[in-house]
Amino acid sequence: MTCQNKPKLLWLQSITCNGNTHSFLNHPELFFILSHFEVVHHPVLDSSYSMEDVIGGIVPCDVLIIEGSFQEEGFLKSGVEVSSIIKHYANKAKHIISVGTCATFGGIFKQKNPEAISGFCFNGEEKTERYSTHASKLISLPGCPMHPRWLSYVLLMISGKKDIPIDNLHRPVELYGYTVHTGCTRNEYFEWKIDTKTFGLKEGCLFYETGCRGPYTRGSCNKILWNDINSKTRAGTPCFGCTEPNYPQESFFRTKTNMGIPDKVPLGVSKRAYLTLTGVAKSFTIQRFTERLMEYDK
Amino acid sequence: MTNVTVKKLIEKIEGEAELDFTFNQGEIEDVKINFGFYRGIEEILRGHDAWDALVITPRVCGICNHAHLLAAVRAIENGYENAGLKINLTSKAKAIREFTLSCELIQNHIKWLYMTILPQLEKFVGAVSEENYAIKATYLASTITKALAVFSGQWPHASYAIPGGVTCDPTHLDVMQAQSLVDESIKFFEEVVIGLSIDDYLAMESVSCFSQIHGDFGKLLRLMLVNDMGDKGYSHDRFIVFGDSILAKPGRSIITNVTNVDISCVQENEQKGTVSKAVTYRDKFYEVGPLARGMVAKTPIVRSLHKRFKDSVLSRVFARIHEVALLLDYSKGLLNKLQLDEPSCVLNADVRLNDFDGVGTVEAARGSLIHKTTVRDGVITNYDIITPTQWNLGNSTKAEQGIAIEAMTGSLSIEEATFIFRTFDVCSVCTTQ
Repeated sequence: MTCQNKPKLLWLQSITCNGNTHSFLNHPELFFILSHFEVVHHPVLDSSYSMEDVIGGIVPCDVLIIEGSFQEEGFLKSGVEVSSIIKHYANKAKHIISVGTCATFGGIFKQKNPEAISGFCFNGEEKTERYSTHASKLISLPGCPMHPRWLSYVLLMISGKKDIPIDNLHRPVELYGYTVHTGCTRNEYFEWKIDTKTFGLKEGCLFYETGCRGPYTRGSCNKILWNDINSKTRAGTPCFGCTEPNYPQESFFRTKTNMGIPDKVPLGVSKRAYLTLTGVAKSFTIQRFTERLMEYDK
Repeated sequence: MTNVTVKKLIEKIEGEAELDFTFNQGEIEDVKINFGFYRGIEEILRGHDAWDALVITPRVCGICNHAHLLAAVRAIENGYENAGLKINLTSKAKAIREFTLSCELIQNHIKWLYMTILPQLEKFVGAVSEENYAIKATYLASTITKALAVFSGQWPHASYAIPGGVTCDPTHLDVMQAQSLVDESIKFFEEVVIGLSIDDYLAMESVSCFSQIHGDFGKLLRLMLVNDMGDKGYSHDRFIVFGDSILAKPGRSIITNVTNVDISCVQENEQKGTVSKAVTYRDKFYEVGPLARGMVAKTPIVRSLHKRFKDSVLSRVFARIHEVALLLDYSKGLLNKLQLDEPSCVLNADVRLNDFDGVGTVEAARGSLIHKTTVRDGVITNYDIITPTQWNLGNSTKAEQGIAIEAMTGSLSIEEATFIFRTFDVCSVCTTQ
């Protein structure tokens, strides 16, 4: 098998939990996607070059995938700063993909030392000093972890030599043009402002009281389902806003409210308009939303 | 001096580790295990709302995130109970939690078999096949994590277990979907991994039945037997289990004698040259993980194996793959008995306690996982996480050698020692948190 014409894919880990690696291993068409590339190095899959080769700087690289948050000094592999290894390959690569919120914005591990830890090109929403050097080839795939199909979309677009439309944070609009709210099975309850009030029910919306950030979080979790079958909100868990630059925030399972109104309202909606809408919607009493969808025989 | 120290970077083990091997007259006399980077999850948690641990602690590890979720929720529930709020989970919530944890263990063990153990053993003994083992690993792992996601919403990194139960409210349609995914996993396990029916496999109680095992597991067993893996990798022959599960009840086994455990005897110790703390029980190292669970539970085939091969590489590897069969069978049973009419969660979302101390234990893929949370005025003031790999991969103390180090000592080559190291299912991200 000749690999000469295939783009060379290098997956590098920085400060990480390996969550993006394992997320991608769940992709049902993993080996079809990877067949378009020569995997020169991967943290788990067999690959043509060892980590020692990677550290030595000798590995070819067309597409660089970065997983994990970034620290300029003090994070070493075999005595070499990981930041210098990543920068070396970022300079070589034609495309850089930051997978996960850590690599993109800093994520959870940034909280350990917010002064020193960030994403590769962004620190939260701010651009890092590396941005100007690398931005022209950067694609951001935030998510804690990123969805496997989000990465496959980017990889197949690259191998098909197609342009990927991106937003100001370099996120592909085809994936992040939606909010997590899009496609949620609880949408009717959202429309009529009926909260689930407690956990463990399929009825009710999680936005008003139980912490869901779906209406103002960019991501396609309810359109491109997780593990091809489900999503957090469908399973009754609030969206934690894990794709956002300010993730993680406080009190994931509670909605911050002001006079009973969620502190953050759906993306692109003014608070005044939202209050009007809420007032109208709440004036309806819709019998079917006060009942359980189904009861099982005891 | 005849001592020579060789440094070696070990990769594809859930991160990397650096091992310093000290040879004395051609034989490994000592090893130092260095994990490079501490991420500070315990520090990050301080000041957070008590329930935020349910979201943040799974991020300790991409492969056993669910075990962390369950340890975190059990720590809160235990804390609530200590503060006087007794929680009686429904059988439905318990069964769903056990089911999803079983799925996570299965995906871990299968990835380890196909992506670590088989290829590394073949490389070590010079019998490399042309097979794409990773395709088998990811097929079974993704199938069983789909079944997990039916209830948890996604894998990895779901936070669907909450104090009082679970957030999901499954329907018959959901259960059917999970059942068919478990059946598909069992079919693959029978046809590809063991080459016989799971019932026939589970009926085996002694090493004398090994010849009936075919498939890739049979191939692995034969490859290990001809390469004397039943005589290599002995450690201290001491085992410990803290989580209460189908696989084992809490207890410790010294050689074959099983006694009770007391969590207050567990101690964490900082170590020079590595960011991982070592863990001991009454100042002694104990092995955790599938072999420990098999020994503490007195699983007949594991005991039979131990009688012949002690705590060797062969016993350690066998015990892990054996759990896949136990868990697939158990998972199927859990789904069949699921009482959908019971509540998913018995606590209202607004019931929160502000001051409590709780401990949660779970049998994760690699062994006992312990979370301890201290909450004052609703926020976490202290959080301790003790991971399975801290038990197995701690460096030696003055008194005795660490579990994995003892197992590697006496090896004649780095290749052999690193294979032994990998039989512990090394995870650097868990070890360093």
